[in-house]
Amino acid sequence: MTAMTTALAARMSGGVKIYGEGDTAVRALDGIDAELGGGRFTAIMGPSGSGKSTLLHCLAGLDTLTEGQVYIGDTELGSLRDKQLTLLRRRSVGFVFQSFNLIPTLSAEENVLLPLLIAGDAPDRAWFDQIVSILGLGDRLRHRPSELSGGQQQRVAAARALVTRPTIVFADEPSGNLDSQSAGELLGFMRRAVKEFGQTIAMVTHDPVAASYSDRIIFLADGRIVDEMHEPTSDSVIDRMRRFGT
Amino acid sequence: MIRTALKTVFAHKLRLALTALSVMTGVAFIAGTFIFTDTIDRTFSDLFADAFAGQDVVVQSETEFDIGFAGPPPFDEAVLDTVRGVDGVAAAEGSVAGFAVIYDNEGEAIVPQGPPTLGGSWMEDEQLMGNIRIREGRRPTAPDEVSIDASTADNNELAVGDVIKVQTPSDVAEYELVSIVGFGESDNLAGATFAGFDLRTAQRLFGLDGQFSSIVVRGDEGVSPDGLATRIGLALPDGMEAVTASSEAEAQSESLSESLGFLRTALLVFAAVAVFVAAFIIQNTFRIIVRQRQQELALMRAVGATGSQVVWMVVIEALVVGVVASIVGILFGLVIATGLTAVMGALGFDLPSTTAPLALRTILIGIAVGVGVTVAAAVLPAVRASHIPPVAAMRDMDVSLRMSDRARLVIGLAGLGIGVALIIAGLFGDVIDLGPLNELTAVGIGALLVFLAVSILSSSIVKPAAVFLGRRWVLLVITVITALVLIGGGLGLIGFGVVTGGVAIVGVLIPALMVLAIGALAAYLAWSVVRDRFTPGLATENSMRKPRRTATTASALMIGLALVTFFFVLGDSIKASAGAAIEEGLRADYVLSVNGFGGGFSPALAASLAQQPEIAAVTSMRFGIWDRNGSEEFLMAVDTGTIDETVFLDIRQGSLADLGAGGVFVNADVADEQGLTVGDTIPMGFATSGLQQVPIVGLYREANVVQSNYVVGLDFYAENFEGFGTDTDFVVAVKAAEGVAPETSRTVVEAAAADYSNVTVRDQAEYRQSQQDQVNTVLVLFNALLILAVIIAIVGIANTLALSIFERTREIGLLRAVGTSRGQIVRTVSWESLMVAIIGTVLGIVVGMFFGVAVTAALRSQGIDVLSIPGGQIAALVVFGAIAGLFAAILPARRAARLNILEAIAYE
Repeated sequence: MTAMTTALAARMSGGVKIYGEGDTAVRALDGIDAELGGGRFTAIMGPSGSGKSTLLHCLAGLDTLTEGQVYIGDTELGSLRDKQLTLLRRRSVGFVFQSFNLIPTLSAEENVLLPLLIAGDAPDRAWFDQIVSILGLGDRLRHRPSELSGGQQQRVAAARALVTRPTIVFADEPSGNLDSQSAGELLGFMRRAVKEFGQTIAMVTHDPVAASYSDRIIFLADGRIVDEMHEPTSDSVIDRMRRFGT
Repeated sequence: MIRTALKTVFAHKLRLALTALSVMTGVAFIAGTFIFTDTIDRTFSDLFADAFAGQDVVVQSETEFDIGFAGPPPFDEAVLDTVRGVDGVAAAEGSVAGFAVIYDNEGEAIVPQGPPTLGGSWMEDEQLMGNIRIREGRRPTAPDEVSIDASTADNNELAVGDVIKVQTPSDVAEYELVSIVGFGESDNLAGATFAGFDLRTAQRLFGLDGQFSSIVVRGDEGVSPDGLATRIGLALPDGMEAVTASSEAEAQSESLSESLGFLRTALLVFAAVAVFVAAFIIQNTFRIIVRQRQQELALMRAVGATGSQVVWMVVIEALVVGVVASIVGILFGLVIATGLTAVMGALGFDLPSTTAPLALRTILIGIAVGVGVTVAAAVLPAVRASHIPPVAAMRDMDVSLRMSDRARLVIGLAGLGIGVALIIAGLFGDVIDLGPLNELTAVGIGALLVFLAVSILSSSIVKPAAVFLGRRWVLLVITVITALVLIGGGLGLIGFGVVTGGVAIVGVLIPALMVLAIGALAAYLAWSVVRDRFTPGLATENSMRKPRRTATTASALMIGLALVTFFFVLGDSIKASAGAAIEEGLRADYVLSVNGFGGGFSPALAASLAQQPEIAAVTSMRFGIWDRNGSEEFLMAVDTGTIDETVFLDIRQGSLADLGAGGVFVNADVADEQGLTVGDTIPMGFATSGLQQVPIVGLYREANVVQSNYVVGLDFYAENFEGFGTDTDFVVAVKAAEGVAPETSRTVVEAAAADYSNVTVRDQAEYRQSQQDQVNTVLVLFNALLILAVIIAIVGIANTLALSIFERTREIGLLRAVGTSRGQIVRTVSWESLMVAIIGTVLGIVVGMFFGVAVTAALRSQGIDVLSIPGGQIAALVVFGAIAGLFAAILPARRAARLNILEAIAYE
């Protein structure tokens, strides 16, 4: 069963991001045109300093472009004020960071429900139960983050990213700190969320194995998109990286 | 990276500055107190060194007990001839001193608050007048002439040639103002008013016909004052002495300084409270700093630093903070001293505006206290830092070395027990032998221990307290009330400014806007909490995650507010007791006394009242100081013939007839405590008559109208008290005759007192109110002095919050990333601040209530037998606590809300 959504979840056109001024200016993004299709799992790869994290932050509304536009759904982010951006992140975007994803004072369940708690909205209980059971967190819900393993913590973060059924989930090296088994479980779940629930995910990674879970890989170098790969496998990714010397 | 590093350095600077601020404030208070009292000391010694200029020897009565303001008693003027006959005496003249109140042109008495109203006599040889110099006019020579000090003349627009009234022990009469005098450079004598008459007139007015208060002598050229004093001394009759003018100057300046010693002690006590509160803040700050630098310190250990090197690193940081804060504090003390001088000026003390001397002692004590407290407070966190294992460098683990909860409980309870025991032992000192411990010291140490113990124990109540305070309805109630109070107060201030207009509006605008701003924050919080259950919950969790940090921060606020509560309870109990006792003890219809601390008034008033047919009884009461084995005691002298009609003394033993014949009545409780009974004698030392063995002839219970533990008759008083300050009535109680309507009797009394505008006539209710007003004045003064300690605590809350937010940077970044609004961050920080402040306030109220109840119980024998808890004031204190919490939250909340999300997430 494959739920295909054809509309675009997020889009960047003519994206330029410059840090600093004058001689020391760095063009972290140098004219990016990218479209992230709804219901697709897109990986963003590239060497250190290629601008992949900057791309993710700008797409997610955590950072602003120097030039160009970013759309989440139909909303152009550049015109939004802090309050509207906050609401957008709360309702339409999910995040999974590499580390420090959870609020230490809140239980696993509260962390999963965090965006809803912030909004004061009632959770969709059936959806919550479904995510939690797929992620195997059922017996850990009352625990604090410090009582969870690294893999469990990242799965809680993934559950939180999905709980609002956002337009798009951004993941920044989500498996970067995990052992291979935990990483596999997390990435497998993310792919399942895309295939079964039509969730859109964009993930920055430098790990070919992690990237192989995606539907499509965008390769970045020096702030530009240099290549693209569809339906990757870990071998094809490694092969591609070897060819480009990255 | 560089930007982040710079920001970290800046954050450290701010953190150190905030820490230093608390030390600085305490040191400034201490230094200010010393500088201020040094200024007074120097003023007095300058004044008196100068006051005896042109004089070599002073002849006066010998007195065994130099106590109070009375000075040596007067003596026969025939002594002057003896003195003049001594070889080497160039000139000698006698003078008298007494009570004299000057009136302004409107006929209102001029009464300074505190300093006395002096009267004196002129001498023919003006060189013998010391530093008194005529600035304008000539010396008085006729019975209806007077000269006054320049300060009184200037302030009341009196000029030579005016006809003014002066009140003396004899009467109120009119005099022509013939001269205005200065005292060297000074316009007055340390704030006192001065009226000078010619000698014969002064003797008559002060009731000292044929007598002198002192004789001043100038020796022949080349005669040494010491030798002259000795020769005169040999010629004098028994009971008289001759001292050099310079030693007399020293003695008088010393005794004035001593009488202001209580001021220094009182100010230093409040300064000590501020320093104690500062110590809490410093300790907390260093604990947090160590926690935050844990990885850095662990890394140092990993590369080979020893534990003691780590201790030194932290201690040296404390040393730097302490030294800088102390130096700035001492400099700021100069400002505080100037402020105190200005306050004294406003109260009527004309202190010359000399530069306050910065004594070496002040600098040393200031630095010792500032550095000592800072380093002492940092030692525990430093030792804790040295226990950080090198492995902590690799991981973010919380390894703070902490006592087990059980150990804390044991230590806390033990401290609390010892503290309470010390307080009780100190208060009820005769029950337990304290050995070398002074009773007051015992109470002080006990209070200190109680504060420390409660601070240790309170970490256990942080959790339940935070959970309770985190309930939305609780927060709603607190914020709604706070918002109403603040917005009402702010608008009221603006209204006040508009009504009074002009300058006032500028003066109130800034405070009013600040009040309104905090009120707006409270209203915003109240409005949000109706819908938002997320931020209260988060704040509750945040305040619970480091219970000790929360407890210590709250405890700093607790100390100041505990003392405020203590004064509230004690003050209210005094007011209630006095009210009840006056109702019971006062039979008189009217009480006449001088407002505030103005001293006494002419006995001529009582004499004229006694002649009115509408008046049944007039009781004069006079106040006296005597010496009991080296310490000063008070007594009240009453007219034994009429006291029964005006005051219910509640006599337990003996009779007024016995008292009229001599002897003393003792308060029954005091007698009981000291194991005294009727028939025993008390050794009483008087300035006039020396040591007397006085028999106890009765016991009484009344304590609020006579305001003393010892009561004597007026005849006894006249025998043992003479000289300045004892020639006036302190209180006069008046009973109207049977059948005279209150309006009539009041009119009669008011008419008799019309010339005595320094005297206020009060009926029973008004008298009760005036007693309560006096208590209120003292309460306001004490609480104003405690404000400093409270401000330090508020800065402490803000500092701790800022440091906690610094620690939670990534967490806040995450919250913002997943959709938390800036407003929600502001609210979370504000709620936490509010919780800390309310916990501190409630702890303070509980501890303060204990102090209040204990001290009130201990003062039973002083007539404070009603315990009254002022509910309204204490509720107001809770609102104040909430306001303090909101105020402390403003800057940290702003900072937290403005964190850049990306930088925060990436923050290590």
